[in-house]
Amino acid sequence: MNLATIALKNTRRNLFRTILTVAGVAVAMLAFLLLRTVLSAWLIGVEYSAKDRLATRHKVTMIMTLPKRYVDDVKNLQGVQGVTYMNWFGGKLPGKEDQFFATMAVDPKSFLEVYDEVSVPEEQKAKWLDDRRGALVGSTLAKQFGWKVGDRVILEGSIFPGQWEYTIDGIYTASRKSLDQSSFYFHWDYLNESLPAAQQEQVGWIASKVPDAGQAANVAKRIDALFDPRDIQTLSMSERAMNTSFLGMMSTLLNALQIVSVVILLIMMLILGNTIAMGVRERTHEYGVLRAIGFLPKHLSWFVIGEATVLGLLGGALGVGIGIPLINQGVGRFIEENFGGFFPYFRVAQGDVVVAIVLSIMLAVVAAVVPAYQATKLRVVDALRKLG
Amino acid sequence: MSDASGTASAPTLIKLERVGKTYFRGKEPIEVLKDLDLEMPQGAFEALMGPSGSGKSTLLNLIAGLDSASSGRITVSGEDLGKMGEGKRAHWRSQNVGFIFQTYNLLPVLTAVENVELPLLLTSVPSKERKSRALTALRAVGLEDRATHRPDQLSGGQQQRVAIARAIVTDPKIIVADEPTGDLDRASADQILDLLVKLNKELNKTIVMVTHDPAAAERATIVRRLDKGQLT
Repeated sequence: MNLATIALKNTRRNLFRTILTVAGVAVAMLAFLLLRTVLSAWLIGVEYSAKDRLATRHKVTMIMTLPKRYVDDVKNLQGVQGVTYMNWFGGKLPGKEDQFFATMAVDPKSFLEVYDEVSVPEEQKAKWLDDRRGALVGSTLAKQFGWKVGDRVILEGSIFPGQWEYTIDGIYTASRKSLDQSSFYFHWDYLNESLPAAQQEQVGWIASKVPDAGQAANVAKRIDALFDPRDIQTLSMSERAMNTSFLGMMSTLLNALQIVSVVILLIMMLILGNTIAMGVRERTHEYGVLRAIGFLPKHLSWFVIGEATVLGLLGGALGVGIGIPLINQGVGRFIEENFGGFFPYFRVAQGDVVVAIVLSIMLAVVAAVVPAYQATKLRVVDALRKLG
Repeated sequence: MSDASGTASAPTLIKLERVGKTYFRGKEPIEVLKDLDLEMPQGAFEALMGPSGSGKSTLLNLIAGLDSASSGRITVSGEDLGKMGEGKRAHWRSQNVGFIFQTYNLLPVLTAVENVELPLLLTSVPSKERKSRALTALRAVGLEDRATHRPDQLSGGQQQRVAIARAIVTDPKIIVADEPTGDLDRASADQILDLLVKLNKELNKTIVMVTHDPAAAERATIVRRLDKGQLT
């Protein structure tokens, strides 16, 4: 037996209260972990976005298109390794219009070269490249709608009106987190040929790959400089810069989430502080006895802080223990399947687990400081007079 | 009761010289002990009796080093308790005083042997040795077979015997007992008093006991009466 085992045993003194406190800390930590995961999932797009890929769009707005001939101009520019192009299609599944997913018309061959994180079985890839009405869909999206290779799908066009028929030729996964797995890609030619002549040969944006990520900014400048004298100017930026600027628009929401996670931690600290303070009040007489037999004020503070540490650790561990499977296997999967466009990867980050455990212990210690101080200030004879 | 012949010639262990203790209720002073002179010989079994508010427990607290006197001097084995700081007095208590309280005051989450081991945590005695000494102390009070029982699994008399084992485990010079039989039935009280007599006679422990119980006082070798803060 030592002082630590006494602190541990003290947590069993009022088991019901301990269970409620640990559960309170666990729920707080679970909420904290969930919010941290939302933040991480949001930031992951930036964190994992390709640093060696550039996006070139119309200088005025993304809604306006670029002439397709610009693609060859970019391709011929020094420092550009590969180029592809695409149009935002805005297709929706009839009857399920509320279920958003990205639909894009792409040039299949160059798309698979520039977006080399797209992983698709060879036979499916070959089939898609040959099939002008073929579609390549993300594994999350396929799972969401129960699609299999060979299935026929009809989409309703919101930007390009009409019903568009496709055959699912392939289901892709992403070897890196820079690409979500809930998008729908189909042949740009299929879209282009179906449009009126005036709308043909236009692309939404050009994606180019550079061999050296460090040169991405310079290449972006050169691309824009190339089109400056033309009628239609461009705006080029790295994929990361594009995602960062998108996040900038969401900064208020992200800050609000950060504040909520801090508030949750404060609530947790107050719950713990209250429990510890109650324990100290109830054990005043007992502390008097301990002081009488020779224990020093510092020993009492160790008991109090030790007990708080045990409660914090148990609560934190329980919260994380419940949180990881709940988020990774439950909430995370649901979010990835239904909101994959925003949260392609919604899993608990290892760093957040460590932060949650460390914070639960640290906050427990902080919560115990005042009750511990009160315990050290007890006069022995006064404490002994208090009824146990 | 008069002086026991066995302690009459023993050296003085506890000496109080003109000791006074005053508490304050707000700004109003309450004089609990007044110019008390007292000598307690080593190996004595002393009973302090008197009505409520007479200053018995205050005197016991001063002798045990739990509180400091407002005036006068208290020495135990020649050591002046008034000159000790709080920390040194706590260390002194852990080495020299064993406590027995009316309500046993065992830690409910610890077993009997762990409760007895508690004061030894303040020493440098190794873990195994601590447990061995605690079991020896429990054997001395006849409760070795209840070593792993928690207080709520023991009767009142048994809990008080565990408390006595805790009081003697560090081999202190003095045992202070504040109403040690106050919460017990007659039979259990007699067992506790037998044990205290045994500790006094066989182990030569100096015992200072506060009691209201005349039967308990009869077992002491010296009985002192306090009234209004003075020995009568």
